[in-house]
Parts: sequence; structure tokens; C-alpha cells
Amino acid sequence: MRFVSNFPYGRAPFWLLVIAVVSVGLRVATARRHEARPDLVVVTHTEAQFDAYRKAIPRFERDHGVKVQLQFANWASLQARLQNAILAGTEVPDLSEVFAGSLGFFTRGPAEDFGLLDLTDRMHADGLDKRLVESRLSLWSTRGRVYALPHDVHPVMLAYRRDLVEALGIDVSKLDTWDKFVEVGRQVSRDLNGDGIIDRYMLDMRYDGNWGLQVLMFQRGGQVFDQQGEVAFATEDNAQLIRWYIEQTRGPHKIGYECGWGQPVVRAMTDGLVLFQWAPDWRSWIFADEAPALAGKMALMPLPAWTPGGRRTSTWGGTGLMIMKQTRHPDLAWELAKYLYFDTTQLGERFLATNILPALKDAWNLPEFATPFPYYSNQRVGQMYAELAPEAPPVYSSPVDDAGRLALDRAYNRSAEYYSEKGEAGLLEKIRAELAEAAESVRRLARREKILAKGTL
Amino acid sequence: MSGRATQRPVRPPGRPRYKGKAPYLFLSPYIVLTAAFFVVPFVNAIMLAFYETNGPRSHAFVGLANFVFLFTDPVFRRALFNTTVFALVSVFIQLPLSMVLALLLNSGGDKVKGFFRLVFFSPNLVGQVLVGILFSVLFTPRYGLVNRGFQMVLHWGLEARWLSESRLIMPAIVLTSLWLWVGFNMIYFLAALQTVDKTLQEAARIDGASPWQIFWHVTLPSMRHVVIFVVIMSVIGSYQLFELPLTLLSESYGYGANDAGLTLITYLNYNAFRCGDLGLGSAVGWVVAMIIFIISLIQIRLGRIAEED
Repeated sequence: MRFVSNFPYGRAPFWLLVIAVVSVGLRVATARRHEARPDLVVVTHTEAQFDAYRKAIPRFERDHGVKVQLQFANWASLQARLQNAILAGTEVPDLSEVFAGSLGFFTRGPAEDFGLLDLTDRMHADGLDKRLVESRLSLWSTRGRVYALPHDVHPVMLAYRRDLVEALGIDVSKLDTWDKFVEVGRQVSRDLNGDGIIDRYMLDMRYDGNWGLQVLMFQRGGQVFDQQGEVAFATEDNAQLIRWYIEQTRGPHKIGYECGWGQPVVRAMTDGLVLFQWAPDWRSWIFADEAPALAGKMALMPLPAWTPGGRRTSTWGGTGLMIMKQTRHPDLAWELAKYLYFDTTQLGERFLATNILPALKDAWNLPEFATPFPYYSNQRVGQMYAELAPEAPPVYSSPVDDAGRLALDRAYNRSAEYYSEKGEAGLLEKIRAELAEAAESVRRLARREKILAKGTL
Repeated sequence: MSGRATQRPVRPPGRPRYKGKAPYLFLSPYIVLTAAFFVVPFVNAIMLAFYETNGPRSHAFVGLANFVFLFTDPVFRRALFNTTVFALVSVFIQLPLSMVLALLLNSGGDKVKGFFRLVFFSPNLVGQVLVGILFSVLFTPRYGLVNRGFQMVLHWGLEARWLSESRLIMPAIVLTSLWLWVGFNMIYFLAALQTVDKTLQEAARIDGASPWQIFWHVTLPSMRHVVIFVVIMSVIGSYQLFELPLTLLSESYGYGANDAGLTLITYLNYNAFRCGDLGLGSAVGWVVAMIIFIISLIQIRLGRIAEED
């Protein structure tokens, strides 16, 4: 005890030191040993995919005699952590699913920083490039190389309240162009009880542009970025589209109303506030899941075309599977990627659980894709989407992808505000000017990107 | 030679002088942790502002280009404008409301005071993210509680697009922040009110002062230290506004239509973590830090002047 009394600064620091040493010792002694890293780690961020892969992976493990770990992660944190881990050289999963529009995030700077395995040659060697919907590779390509496998096509149709539309005497087979659709929309979008508020709209249209505008832009063949990653939205065609969109959402004869997401959409559909909804394949399942009371009252139709005989679909969203450059087993990772995405023994069942059309064209002939879907009045939903899928437009990416989309929205909203204040006069000139300014703002960012790619100012 | 020894300062009696490594050993955890988690990141953040980066490893020296980019970027200027508007709203609407609530509660009984203190403070317990998600539902056109409430009272607002129409976005953020923060600041004011000398207020009343005169000339000066503190903290908090717009306007990364909801920290977050340019993000961080520093200095100086008067 004399030692304790003589300890520098007294007894208290001595006992604090003892506690510190003992607790660290206990922590070290009781720490669980790290389990050996499995042969492959794959991460997904969607619940449906997680469930499907969880069922499928045991067979792959048996067939290849390996251990695969499946992880589920929140998308936002996955994206940021993955990119930083790639750049910092810390541990990353072997394979990871990512959302459309994020490839640019992972392919900033010089190509040697990418951290993703270039899949182009493997795809060619396995003949996959011919078996997949070609336009979908655009989402996952940059500088002429493919960096992820496409999971889906996500062609877009319109889902509508068949019972109400029929009661109104609308023949959807005749709504084959947007002009005809708008004409009918103007007749049905009206105030039904005389309180000055419109009670029935033709179409769900996002008020601030965003995906609503982009889906239509892609359908017309427009792009935010071109194949070389250059800004491509400041075109006369997009100016005309924006004017059209503004008229449909803010004009005196508007047919569009923004329903939002989740329960407000369900309410709007159930109340008959909006007759037609945008329905990419994934969303057609969400409607069935979230508004079951409308089973049998709904139906799907292809998008009206912009010109007679023109494209009847667009695309909205997408998921891809990347393989990290750091993986110790690139060949095994490639086998797993192909197994998860293109094994036809799984794709039929997976379609029935999600309505998502795979990018692999061979799969569309499976019987599950021809199954009538009671929710949509027994339409053969899989077949309908599959017929439209080859027409799905490409969507190119850029390292400044998000900035491009934000700039396009900015141009749209400024033009829409101009219209709300000053009306039609000078609107088209305003739209053109805003598009040009927005494009220049993105080019400024892209110039910074080039500085980074060169490695110096 | 012995003169030198006699010049050494005399240690006060009772304070032992320790020799050797022990003091440094005991100080070392603090020094190491401070260096690791404060000094190094601080210096690194300064350095980063002069680089364009792609995550933590890849970078290119760009000198002052990040700052030049910021001050010529209309989007950054919009973020600065929005944040300043929000800070002004905080000072001129939120704090007076908090003060009014505090005065009302202070005049009530202890049980009433305790109950309403909890009621007004409770929004703060759930956090900004949850409040943002909650209000994004309340602001739903046609079906949202806020829209229905406005329609019932003002016969306007049933279809108001709080979160997609640029002129309504900042009011929506302000409304949400009022619900969140008024009660929080009220607690400070209520605590300060309870320390005001009652005899001074009583003397003023006997001298014929009106309630407003008592508040303005007696109550408020007595709690000026707390008021200055709350104003400074509100302004700092306003310039750090981030979670609310991000959750309310999540589909546009917190920007909102025509950048109407964009704040400085949202801009920082977007550039640093969504675009991976930590250098530009760091430059924004330093600009925000300087703004907060200058505004706080001005407020402290004004507070001192008020005190001297």
C-alpha cells in the first residue's frame, strides 16, 4: 500500500490506471475472433433483391464449394462509403448493387482510380452483350467500357383506373399519341362539384419536373448527357418539351396533378383524383402492393407516342451489379454476378415477386412472364413490358450526373415560374436561355472534373 | 555565480515539484487524442480547401480555385442568400415567439408551467430528421394536415405545393423549424425570466409603468446575457441548417425547386459527399466558419455596447 500512497499525484491516478489496464485487458481477452472473410461478399440495397439472393446463394455455394456472404445496406450510405473505401484502399465487398445514375459517382477522376472491374471483355467473351437489352448497357458504361451488369430494363407504361376510364367512355387503344391523350385529358380534368377546385385529373405529373420531365425527355430521344458524357439537354426539342410540360401542369387547361409518393398516391388513385399513373415495371408492383383495394380495377397501357407510330415507352430507374477491382476472386465474382442476374431458373419466380423485367432477353419467354396478373384486370403484364423493352431508350451517365439533372430541373422551374408570372409571351425564349445557362453551369463543373483527371491545374 | 541561483523563482509553498516523465505520461492521452482528432483534421481541412479531390486519396492542387469557383457560382450565392434569410427569420420571428411563450408560461402556475414546458420542448426530443419526414407528410397537397388546416382557416392552400413550388419552400422550412425550435429557445428564456429580480418589476409597476414598459426597461435588460447567448446560438444554428431541408426535399438532395431550399451546409454536403469533392466541401466549410465567426463577433460587440449603455 506504500507504493499506492507514493504513486505520483496520489491514489486516484493509480486506481484510474488500474481500471484502464484491467478493462483493456478484459476487452482484449473477451473479444471475439474475426471470422474468416468469406470467399465473396455481395451487397444489395433493395429488400426484394436481398430476399431473392438469399434464396439463390446456397446453390451457388454448393456448386462452387465456396462461402458467399450477402449483406443488406442503406443505399445512401453504401454509395458514399463504397466510393471512399475504393479510393482509400480499405476493405470493400467483392460485388455491390448500385442504382442508375450512380456510375458517374464511381467513375470520377482518372480511370486508374475507378476501383471497378472493367466487365467489357468478359461480357463479349460470354456473348452476354448480344443476350441483353443493348440500350441498358448505356447506364453502366463510361469512356466506352462497361462497369456493371444491368439487372433490369424498367420500361414505362401508364397504369390507369380501368373502371373509371371505361365509365367515362375513354377507349385507351385510341390514346396512341400524346396529342390525343391531352385532348381527352382536357375533357375529363375538371371541377366536378363547383367549388373551384379540380376534382379529377388525367395524369400524375410531377410539378417541379424531375423524373416526370426526364421520363418524357428520354421517350423523345433526349438525354441529360450524350454518349461521350457531354451535356446534351440544351436542345430545341427539350425546350419544346418543357413548354408542353408547363402547359399540362400549370396552364388553364392543365391535365396533370402531382400525387407525390406512398399513401397520397394511393388516396389519389382510390379517390379517382388522378386517372393515369406512370408505371415502370417496378412501380406496377408497388401499386398492387400498396393499393390492394383496386385489384381488378386497374389496367396498363403503353405510353402514348410523340409522333404517330413512335416509341411507346421510356425508362425510369435501374440497378446494376459492379465487381470491385480489389476482389481476390474476380473470376468467381463474375460467375456469381452472372448466376444472380442471368440464371433463368430463378428469373421467372423473381419476376412474379417484383414485376421487374430482367435485362436478359432469353428470360422473357419463361411461362411466368405470360402469367395473367389479376390486379391489372388479368393483363399479361410480363409480356406487355417485354414487348416494349427493346424500345427502351438508352440513358448515358457522366461524373457530374446529379449536377446535370439538378441543372435541368433548375431550368425547368425558372421557366415554369416565368410562365406563372408572365404567361405564354416569350416563354420559349426564356426556356432556351435557361437551358443554355443550365448547360453552361454543368460544363463549369465538368471542367473541374478534367482538372482532376489530369492530376493538376 | 551564486547570484544566478538566487534569481530563480521561488515555488509557492505546498506545491510539490515533480521531476521526470510522469506528468508528460499523464498528459499524453489528452495530447495524443487532441492531436489525432482535432489538430490533424483541422490542418488537413485547411489543406484540403486548396485541392480538388476525388474521395480521400486522389487529389490535384488547385490553389485558390475552389474559393474562386464558390464566389462565382450562382448556386453557392443562392445557398448563402437562403441561409441568411433563414437566420434572419430565426432572430426576428422564432426568438420573439419563444419569448412570448416564455412570458406566458412564466405568468402561469408551476403545474401549468411544467406541463407546457414539456409540450413545447418535446418536438426537440424527436430530432430534425424525424420532424422533416413527418412534415413532408403534413405538407402533402390536398391530403396533408397543414394544407387542410390552411384551407379550413384561410380558404387557401388545399393544393399548395409546399415542397415543390419555389416560393413556398422556404416558408415550409420556416414553419417546420418554428415547430421544432420555438419551444427549445423558450426554455432558455423561461429560465432567465425566473432569475429576474421581482422587486424591480414590482417597483416599476408601483411607479405606473405599463406591462410593455416593464418588459422593455426592466425584464429584458435583466436577461440580456441569455438573450445574447440565444441569439448567437440561433444564428450559428441557422447557418448550420442541414437536416431539415435535406429530409423535406430529399428527392432533390435538399435543393428544392429552383434551389429554393438550398442552404450552405446542404451545398457542402452535396459537393463533398455526393460528388466526392472534399476539397470544394472544405472550402465551403471554411467560408461558413468565417461567416459565423464574423457574425458572432458583431453580435458580441453589439451586446457589449448595449451593456455599457
